[in-house]
Amino acid sequence: MHSVVGRTPSYDLPVPRADSGHAGTTFDPIAGLLALVLPGLGHAVQRRYRRAACICVGVLGLYFGGLLIGGLSVVDLRSPRTETRISFLAQAFVGPLAFATDRLHQTRFKTLTPGQRGSPPTLAPPGANRLEVSLGKVNEIGVLYTVLAGMLNFIVFLDALLPSVREEESDTPRTSGALDAVLSKGSSS
Amino acid sequence: MIWLLAYRPFIDPLDLHDAWFFLLLPLAFFVSMAYKAVRVPTMAGYWKQVLWMSAQIVLGMVGLGAAFYIVIEWLVPMLAPVPL
Repeated sequence: MHSVVGRTPSYDLPVPRADSGHAGTTFDPIAGLLALVLPGLGHAVQRRYRRAACICVGVLGLYFGGLLIGGLSVVDLRSPRTETRISFLAQAFVGPLAFATDRLHQTRFKTLTPGQRGSPPTLAPPGANRLEVSLGKVNEIGVLYTVLAGMLNFIVFLDALLPSVREEESDTPRTSGALDAVLSKGSSS
Repeated sequence: MIWLLAYRPFIDPLDLHDAWFFLLLPLAFFVSMAYKAVRVPTMAGYWKQVLWMSAQIVLGMVGLGAAFYIVIEWLVPMLAPVPL
C-alpha cells in the first residue's frame, strides 16, 4: 500500500514517493471545497492551471450549453416533472451556480398553471417575464447537458480532494530553491 | 424566423427539434474535455486524447443507434410478428 491519505499537501513541491514507483495520494479538503464552489478552482489552487482551465471550460460549457438549448426550465427544483426534480441532485454538483439558476427560475420566470405543483409565493406575476418551457427532446437534451456537467464536476471534486501526487502534476516549473541554484551553478561552470 | 424576435438566450429554449441529434457533437467534446483534464497523466497530447474520446463517444452512439434500429425494426418483427 503506497497511499499517503491524510498528509497535508504542499502546493510548492508535490513530491512523489521515490521508493515506491507509484503515485501517492494526498488529502486536500480546501481544494475539494473550492472545486464545488467553481469548477476548476480546486485545481487552480493546486497550481494545476492548465487542467483547471480545461475543467472550467468543459463543465461550464456543458452547463451553459444545457441552459442555451433547453432554456431556464431545465434547472427546476420544484418542477411538476419528477425526473426534472431528481435531475437537480446531479445539477447541484456544479455548485452555487446551479442554486442561483434555480433561484432565478423560481423567483423571476416560473409560471404555473392552476392545480400544478409548485410554490405559489415564488410565482412570477402573470404576464411578466413569462418563461417558454422547453418540451420534448430539446428539454431532455438540455437536462442531459446540465446533469452531465454536475456529474463531471463530482469527479473533478474527488480529484481535487484526493490529488494523485505525480512528478508532472504541477503546471509550474518545479524548483527547490537552494538545490537548484547549486546545480545550475555547477552546470554553468 | 419570427420566433427569433422574442428569443432570450439561456432563458427560452432553442428551436432544435428537427436537428437535436447534432447536439451530440458539442456534448461529446465538452465531456471529453472535462474528463480528460482529470484523467491524463500529463497535459502533453491532451487535445489529441480529447478528440479521440469525442470520436469514440460519437461513434459509440451511432453504433448503438444502428444496433437498436436493427433490433426494433427487423429482429423483433421477424421473431414476434404482429398477427393481422
